Amino acid sequence: MGYGTPGRFPLSAFRFPLFPLISVDLNMRGVIAIVCSQICFAAPALHAQLPLTTSGTNTSVGSAAAPADTSPQLRRGPFAITEADRAWWAFQPVVRPPLPAVRGTPTMQNPIDAFLLAQLQAKGLSFNPPASRRELIRRAYFDLIGLPPSPEAVDAFVADSSARAWERVIDHLLGLPQYGERWARHWLDLVRYAESNGYERDAAKPHAWRYRDYVIRSFNQDKPYDRFVAEQLAGDELPGPFDADAIIATGFYRLHVWDDEPDNSLAAEFDDLDDIMVATSATFLGLTVGCARCHDHKFDPISQADYYQLLAFFRSINPYGLPHTGGGGRGTGRITHPLAPETEVAAWNTRQQGKLEPLRAQLAATTNAETRQKLEAQIKNVEAEPAPFDSALAVQEDPIKPTQILHRGDVHSPGAEVQPGFLSVLSRASRSPAPSARADTSDSVPRRLALARWITRADHPLTARVMANRVWQHHFGRGLVRSPNDFGRTGEVPTHPQLLDYLASELVASGWRLKYLHKLILLSQAYQMSSRTDNPAALRADEANDLFWRQNPRRAEAEVLRDTLLAVAGSLNLAMGGPSVFPSLPKEVHSTQDSAGKGWSDSPPAEQNRRTIYLVVKRALIPPLLDTFDYSTTTVPVGSRSATTVAPQALMLLDDSFVQLQAGRFAARLLREAGVAETNQIRRAFALALQRAPTGEEMAAAREMLAIQHRLASANRGSPPTPEEVWRPFCAAMLNLNELLYID
Amino acid sequence: MSLDPSAQTPKVAHGSTPDVLPGTRRQFLWQAGAGFTGLALTALLDGDGFFSRPAVAAALSAANPLAARPPHRLTKARSCIFLFMFGGPSQLDLFDYKPALQKRDGQTVDNEFRRNTKTKAVLQASRRQFTQHGQSGLWCSDALPHLARQIDKLAFVKSLYSDSFAHGSAVLQMNSGRIIQGHPAIGAWMSYGLGALNQNLPSFVVMLDPRGGPTTGAPNWSSGYMPAVYQGTVLRTAGDPILNLQPPAGSSREMQRNEIDLINKLNQAHAAQRPGFSELQARIASYELAFQLQATAPEALDLSQETPATHELYGLNDKKGDHPLTVGPAPFGRQCLIARRLVERGVRFVQIYSGGGAAGGQNTWDGHHGIEENLQIHAPEIDKPIAALLSDLEQRGLLDETLVVWGGEFGRQPVSETFNTGGKTGGRDHNPKGFTYWLAGGGVKPGVSYGETDELGAEAVVNRRHLRDLHATILHLMGLDHHQLTYFYGGLQNRLTGVLDAEVIRGVLA
Repeated sequence: MGYGTPGRFPLSAFRFPLFPLISVDLNMRGVIAIVCSQICFAAPALHAQLPLTTSGTNTSVGSAAAPADTSPQLRRGPFAITEADRAWWAFQPVVRPPLPAVRGTPTMQNPIDAFLLAQLQAKGLSFNPPASRRELIRRAYFDLIGLPPSPEAVDAFVADSSARAWERVIDHLLGLPQYGERWARHWLDLVRYAESNGYERDAAKPHAWRYRDYVIRSFNQDKPYDRFVAEQLAGDELPGPFDADAIIATGFYRLHVWDDEPDNSLAAEFDDLDDIMVATSATFLGLTVGCARCHDHKFDPISQADYYQLLAFFRSINPYGLPHTGGGGRGTGRITHPLAPETEVAAWNTRQQGKLEPLRAQLAATTNAETRQKLEAQIKNVEAEPAPFDSALAVQEDPIKPTQILHRGDVHSPGAEVQPGFLSVLSRASRSPAPSARADTSDSVPRRLALARWITRADHPLTARVMANRVWQHHFGRGLVRSPNDFGRTGEVPTHPQLLDYLASELVASGWRLKYLHKLILLSQAYQMSSRTDNPAALRADEANDLFWRQNPRRAEAEVLRDTLLAVAGSLNLAMGGPSVFPSLPKEVHSTQDSAGKGWSDSPPAEQNRRTIYLVVKRALIPPLLDTFDYSTTTVPVGSRSATTVAPQALMLLDDSFVQLQAGRFAARLLREAGVAETNQIRRAFALALQRAPTGEEMAAAREMLAIQHRLASANRGSPPTPEEVWRPFCAAMLNLNELLYID
Repeated sequence: MSLDPSAQTPKVAHGSTPDVLPGTRRQFLWQAGAGFTGLALTALLDGDGFFSRPAVAAALSAANPLAARPPHRLTKARSCIFLFMFGGPSQLDLFDYKPALQKRDGQTVDNEFRRNTKTKAVLQASRRQFTQHGQSGLWCSDALPHLARQIDKLAFVKSLYSDSFAHGSAVLQMNSGRIIQGHPAIGAWMSYGLGALNQNLPSFVVMLDPRGGPTTGAPNWSSGYMPAVYQGTVLRTAGDPILNLQPPAGSSREMQRNEIDLINKLNQAHAAQRPGFSELQARIASYELAFQLQATAPEALDLSQETPATHELYGLNDKKGDHPLTVGPAPFGRQCLIARRLVERGVRFVQIYSGGGAAGGQNTWDGHHGIEENLQIHAPEIDKPIAALLSDLEQRGLLDETLVVWGGEFGRQPVSETFNTGGKTGGRDHNPKGFTYWLAGGGVKPGVSYGETDELGAEAVVNRRHLRDLHATILHLMGLDHHQLTYFYGGLQNRLTGVLDAEVIRGVLA
C-alpha cells in the first residue's frame, strides 16, 4: 500500500520532480492543500510508461483538443523563463503584416481575402462560389442578431441588385438592439454568467441581471473593447465622473459559483479568487493561469509566483462570503454597490441616520413597554425605507491585504509575500516595461486599474488577438486559433497567424471597435462564400476546411433555437432588459432540486415570450430545452460550445410543451396571415420558417401529411377535427427541420 | 465531420483489449438497440435499410460520442449501481462496530464538530445491537436485518475520509471528486470513457428519492466541462419516466409517425443538396431513434413484467412504517428493481438516492435530531430492497457483471450532537474524517472488511483512504485506469481523481 504512514502523502507523489519533497499532515492541512483549483496533469511524470497524452500522436482518452503540431513540452527543473518561452507565437508583439500577393483576383478588395487566398493558392485551391442571396442574409441575421430574417427582408435583399445592398444589411443589423442581445450571450459564456450561487442553497445573486443588461448595452453602444475590459476589471477605480455602468461592470467579479457553507471559509476564499483568476486569464488573455496555483505551470512559462502576483491585484476585493466556522449557511460580504455618486449615497445615509438617532435615543431612554414597541416599529420602518438609488452586484475594495505565495496552494502554508505583478513572460514581451503596479501599496494607481491598463495596452500581445479571434470564430464557426481560451502551449496554434495579427491590429487601430471588425469580416468575399461541400478537389485537399475554402455551416445555439421558435410562431416579445424571466417548467424538472420550486415563480406568459438571454440563469435548474442543446456550463469560462446530436433533442422538439405551444401559435398565425386555403398556409409556413417557397415535392409532402393528420384526428375524436388539431403537428414538423436549425 | 472543433472523441491508450466476453444474456440485449444518448448502427431498426446507407453509416459512426469503447483493462463489471445514502448515514450504527464506544457511553471527550471547532462533547453509544453474520463474520447492526443475510457478498472499506463537513461540497465531491461545483460526475466519466452499451437507453441514469433531490440538485449528475451528452438522465419511477417521452396531449403514435415522416422527407431533400455534411444525416437518424425509444424506454421500466415473487422480494408490497416521514421500502425497492432491469439492458451507471429534500431534517440520512429516529425512518426503506437486489443479481448471473456501491457523502460522529439541535441530544453530526462504504459484485472480493477507524469510530486510522482512492477503485473495477481517463479542459488533462495521486484499494479486489 502506498499509504504506509497515515497522514502523509503517498510516496508516489514524490516521483514528480516539480513537487518539492515535503511531508504534510494530511489530516488537517494537507486536505486543504489538495483544493487545487485545477486537476493538474501530473500523469506524464508520475507514470512515465504512459504516452504523454498531449503529444501530437497521442492515443489516450480525451486528446482531440490537444494541439496537433506543437507538442507542449513538460517543463522540468527550477522555474526559469527561457528565450524559447518568450518566442512562443502568442507572446510576440502584434505586427500588422504586409498584404500577401495573390493571383488573379481583381475583384478582391478586402485584405482578409488576400490572407486566406494566399494559403489556399499555395495548395492549388480557391474560394467556394458565393452563397445564394437567401443563404447569405440568413447567415448574417443569425450571426449578428441571432434571429431569422422575415420573409419580406429576404425578398427585398434578393431583389436588391445595388452594389451596396449587402453593406446596408450589415449596417442595419449592427444598428439593431438585438445585435447586443446576440453578442452579449457569447460574452456571458466566457464570464460563466449565472444569477445564483450554486451549491446547497443555490441562492440568488442580487441584481445580477444588471450585469447582463450592461453587456448588452455595451455591445449595442459599440463601446471600445479596451473600455469594456477596463470597466469590468476596474470600473470602480476608473477616473472621471460617476458612471453607473462602470460599477455594474464589476459584477464580473461576483459571477462565480459560491459555497455558502464551505468546509473551510479561508480555503473557500482562495477558491473564489482562483475562479476569478481563471475567468480573467481565460476571458481576456486566453491563458490557463489557474494551473499555477499549487506549483509552476507544467507547460506554459507561468510560475507559481506569477500566479500569486496576479492574484495580488484581486486580493483586496471584499470577499464574497463572510468568514465562517461550524455548520449552516453564511452571509455574504459587500457584494453590492449603490448606483449613485458617493456624495449622494453619503447624503442619504446621513439623512437616515438623522432620523434613526433620535428614535434610538428615545428607545434607550424609555422603560415603557408600549412606547418601546412603538419606537422599535418606527426604527424598523425607517431602516426599511428604500434608498432613492439602485444597487448592483459589484466589487467593493477593502484596505490593501498582503498576498503570500501559498505552498502547494494550501492556505495554511503561506510563504513569501508578493506584490502585484504581471506575468513575467509577458512583461518583457510587451516591449516597454510594465507600469509600476509592482510597486507597493502606496501605488497611486489602484491595483485593479493598473491591471486593466496593462491588459488593454495597445501593444499587449494577447488582448486584441484573443478578442479578434472570438469575433472571427462566431462568424466562421471556429477561431483562427481553435482553442479560443487557450493561446498557450496546450492550446492550438493559429491556422492563419498573419490574418489573426491583421485583425488584431485593425481592432486596435479602429479604437477597439467591434462593429468595425464585424463589418470588415462580413464584407469579405470569404464570409460570403457558400458552405457547400460539393467540391471534390477541395474536400480531398482540406476536408477539415483548415484553409477556409468554404464557409462552415453551423448549428443554431440553444438560445437561437428558442428565439427562432418564438419568432416563427409570431410570439416573440422583443422587450429589452430588466429582471430575469422565469419560464414555466415541468414539475418533474423542479423536483430534481432538494426543495422543488424553491426560488422559482413563473413569469406572466407574455414575459415568457422574451428572448432567451432574459431567462433566469439558475445554476441548479437550467431549462431542459437549453440544456439538451448544449447550453453553456455556467461554472467555467466557455469559449466554444459543443454541438452534440442526440435523440433527446429530437424528443424535446417533438414533445416538449414549450415547442407545442409555439407550434399551436404558428398554426394560428398561418390561418390569420394566409387564410383558409391549404396551399397558401403551407407557403406561408415555409416562408416564415425557412424564408423560401416550398418545392413541388415539398408541397405534395406537406399536403399528404395534413391529409393523414386529418384522417387520424377525425378517427381519434369521432368528428371533424379542429384546424388546430390538424395544423399544429404540421407546424411542429416545420419547427423541427434541419434547415431551420442549421445555418448554411 | 463535427461542427464542434473542441469535440473530444475518447480514445483508449491500450485499447487492444477485445470488448467481448463469453456470451451472456446481457450481451445480447446490449446489441439490441441504438441511440438514446448518441447514435449508432442497429440491425433491429433497420427495416428499410436506412441505417445501412453509406452516408448514414458514416455519420453515425463518426457522430456517436457514446459508441461503446473498450475498457483500459478487461473486467467482469460492465455496469455500476451506486446506492447513495444522501445526508450521511451513520457508520457507527450500521456497520462500524466499536466496543469501546459502547462501553464509554456518556463520557466527555474533545471533539471537532466541523472544521476548526474544537469542543467538549459526550460520547453516544449506538442503541443498535451488533452481530457478526455469515461465513465472513462481518459486523452488521440490527437496523439492516435483510442486508445482514447478504453480508458475505460485501466488501467494506471502513477507513474512508474526504474533504468537507458540509453537505453541498461533500455530495459534490462524492459525485465528481471535487468540492467545487462544475466538474463531471463519476457517471459522466464512465459514459465518456466506456460509452453506452445500449444506445436505446441513457448510459447514466439517476433516480431520486420521492421526498426530493439531493442538495445542489442537478450539478451532482452534471457532465461539467464535458459535452452535455455525458450527463445523467433523471428517471422517474412514476408517471412519464423521461422528460418528453410521451407524444403531446391529443397526439398518438400514428400521428407522431406522420409528423416524423414529413420531417424526414424535408430533411432528406435538404441533406441531398448538402453532400458531405454528415451532421445532417446524424440528426435525421436521431428522429428515428427518438421514435423507437418512446417504446423501448417504458418497456425497460415496466415492472409488471416481473413476477409477484420478485415484487415481494424487493418489498414492493410492504407497508410503510408509522413515522410520518417514511415512505416505506416500496419506492426504493422499485428503483432497485428498475436498476436491475437497466443493467440487464446494458445501462452503464445507475445512481439511486435514498433520502431527499433539504438536508438537516429527518427526510434524509442527516440524523442530527436523533439517530434512532433517523434509522427507524430510513433503514427499513433500503434494507429489503438492497438485499433483494444483491440476491436477485446473483441469481440471474448478473452480480459478476455489476458493481454495487453503497455509501453517503460522509459518516457521522461518535458523540452526541448538540451543535445543530439547540441542545437536544441523541443525534450525530457530520463526519468526513472516517466513514464506511461497501462494494459488491463484479471484481470485488466478497466478505472482507478493509481499514479501520479509531476505537471510537471518529477518524480513519488504519489503511486510511481518501475518497479519491474509492473513485479510483470504482473506475478500476469498471475497467478504467484513473490515470489514463483524462479529459482535456482549461489547458489540462483533467481526471476524476484529481491532482494528487490516487491508488486503487486493492484490499477489496477479488
